[in-house]
Amino acid sequence: MYILPKKESLRMIAALAEDYDLYGPVLQDVSGEPLFDRAMDPADVRLDAAITYNPPKGVLFPQSERILSYRYDRESRKASIRRDDLVRPKALVGLRSCDLNGLLCLDRFFLGQEYVDDVYLDHRKKMFIVANTCVRPFPQCFCVCTDSGPSAREGFDVNLTEAGDDYLFEAGSDKGEALAKRLGLKEAGPDASARKGRIVDASIARFDAEATENKAWISRVVNRITTGFIGNEVWEYVGDQCFECGACAFVCPTCSCFNIEDVASGEGGADRMRSWDSCSFEGYTRMAGDHNPRKPVEDRRNKRFFCKLSYTQSKKYLRPGCVGCGRCARVCPGDIGLPNVVTYIRRETTKAGTR
Amino acid sequence: MNDPNARAIVTVPEIAVIDEIKDEIEDVRTFYFSFENQEAGRNFRIKSGQFVMCTVFGAGEFAVSLPFSPENDRLHLSVRQVGKVTRALHELRPGDKIGIRGPFGNGFPFEEIKGRNIIYAAGGIGIIPLRSSIVHVLRHRKDFGRIILLYGARSSKDLMYRYMIDEWQKIPGFETHIGIDRAEPGWTGEVGFVHTLIAKASVPAKDTTAFVCGPPVMFNSVIQELLGVGLKEDAIVSTLERHMKCGIGKCQHCAIGRTLVCTDGPVYTYRQIKTLGEQI
Repeated sequence: MYILPKKESLRMIAALAEDYDLYGPVLQDVSGEPLFDRAMDPADVRLDAAITYNPPKGVLFPQSERILSYRYDRESRKASIRRDDLVRPKALVGLRSCDLNGLLCLDRFFLGQEYVDDVYLDHRKKMFIVANTCVRPFPQCFCVCTDSGPSAREGFDVNLTEAGDDYLFEAGSDKGEALAKRLGLKEAGPDASARKGRIVDASIARFDAEATENKAWISRVVNRITTGFIGNEVWEYVGDQCFECGACAFVCPTCSCFNIEDVASGEGGADRMRSWDSCSFEGYTRMAGDHNPRKPVEDRRNKRFFCKLSYTQSKKYLRPGCVGCGRCARVCPGDIGLPNVVTYIRRETTKAGTR
Repeated sequence: MNDPNARAIVTVPEIAVIDEIKDEIEDVRTFYFSFENQEAGRNFRIKSGQFVMCTVFGAGEFAVSLPFSPENDRLHLSVRQVGKVTRALHELRPGDKIGIRGPFGNGFPFEEIKGRNIIYAAGGIGIIPLRSSIVHVLRHRKDFGRIILLYGARSSKDLMYRYMIDEWQKIPGFETHIGIDRAEPGWTGEVGFVHTLIAKASVPAKDTTAFVCGPPVMFNSVIQELLGVGLKEDAIVSTLERHMKCGIGKCQHCAIGRTLVCTDGPVYTYRQIKTLGEQI
């Protein structure tokens, strides 16, 4: 471990900006809200910002992007297909542990199954990740319930932990070590790990008092969701509350459903666009000819929570699909963010137990 | 696969040319095609029961089952025009180009069912995905017991591949029972829904595997009848369809129960279908 004085953190970010497109928490001009976005100036990256409104998934999996384009001339019958080169070196600076865990879920899903998603792979190539330990929780957080924070354990090139006027700089890869050497950072000494451990423990201790918005004892419901032993009235209630707006999916670090559409670009050409989709939308499963096997909204809501919390899906992510960032609970107009649904299922279980 | 760049790019279609178009029944046409790039054509190996994603340039991409046999058969797709993209496909003429990605999916069992009696039960255009297996099994018919086709459609005009069935009926040992829902003048085949053909064919219960494909109502009645005869739940095989966007297990549109139709299916046994907990 190394010491990065806080006042030198800009030097680290500027060094990364020389080799990478820079992304991190930046404050929105008007509202001052922290967003995870492209930073044109290294000074715009705010390591002290609160958890960002959106997860970083859009950097690897943009909300809408062209994955290929083609041209077909019916006169000459000549067809050509062009695949876009999406590989750009990107540095993600200031990732919270929940979001890094979400990104690792996406990695395992897009790259670790039967087929490798070559579009995602292109985005993921040549990436540098600087994680940032949460030395105190935010009100919405429940990463301690989902075992994904407050400090990242894997997947980073560098992990920073705020310690007084310094950051403890932990290299997680050769690239991270090289950055420490390049910046000429000094070694943090033999007690650094213990010091970091104390900071993380203190952060965890603050969850009860400060992270008051959400609690989700997901381990209690994983089995029920996997086996489907949940009363239909729970899903009906959740379905009644759902506005089918899709916001939960869009702010979720691990939701990755997408739609594909060919959009005409003129002169017999078209762009094949891939964009975020949500299983809460009615058209999601509708087939040509209008047959829709999954019509009622409660069927669709049931699906989202199965995806987040079943063992079946955990096998794809190698952990639960929820990383405890609390964003779905913040954006849901129907008050059925994941922690609340977990609570409904637990209540039902408790009632059944006393019957 | 040492070089990661050598991996096949699964999101980019291969260009194919439509060589011939055949009108089948109303709204259904068969498109015979070949790949523009001959090497891509040679590398295109399928299992019966798999599917491809077909691009109609300017309109989009759709998932479609493969009717041709894995061995020595002309490449073709039989498609009903039912939505935006399939309608655009029907606008195309011989010489037009399309895009093909795949094949994807698990496919029907073949080696595993050698030595068994095989029942094909199809309703309407449900015979399209089964054709691949039928042709494959008939070509190896010495390896199988009785081979029976039970095929039904609303009327004689709705029977797919009749010219082909006429040829198949000449194959010794291939039993066919073709039915339509209501009697028609001049019709000499059976009259009645597909499930009623099961008794007429005296389907054997022992060592029998059944392949079932058709609309949900037909599917359910056929399954009940086959179970009644004594077939085991895992000896009844079907292929499911879902809205699909990627074909490679990523877009998640085809999720059913805990599985994805594109990578875990499209072929499921009835035992599996029962545990999915969703509508067919």
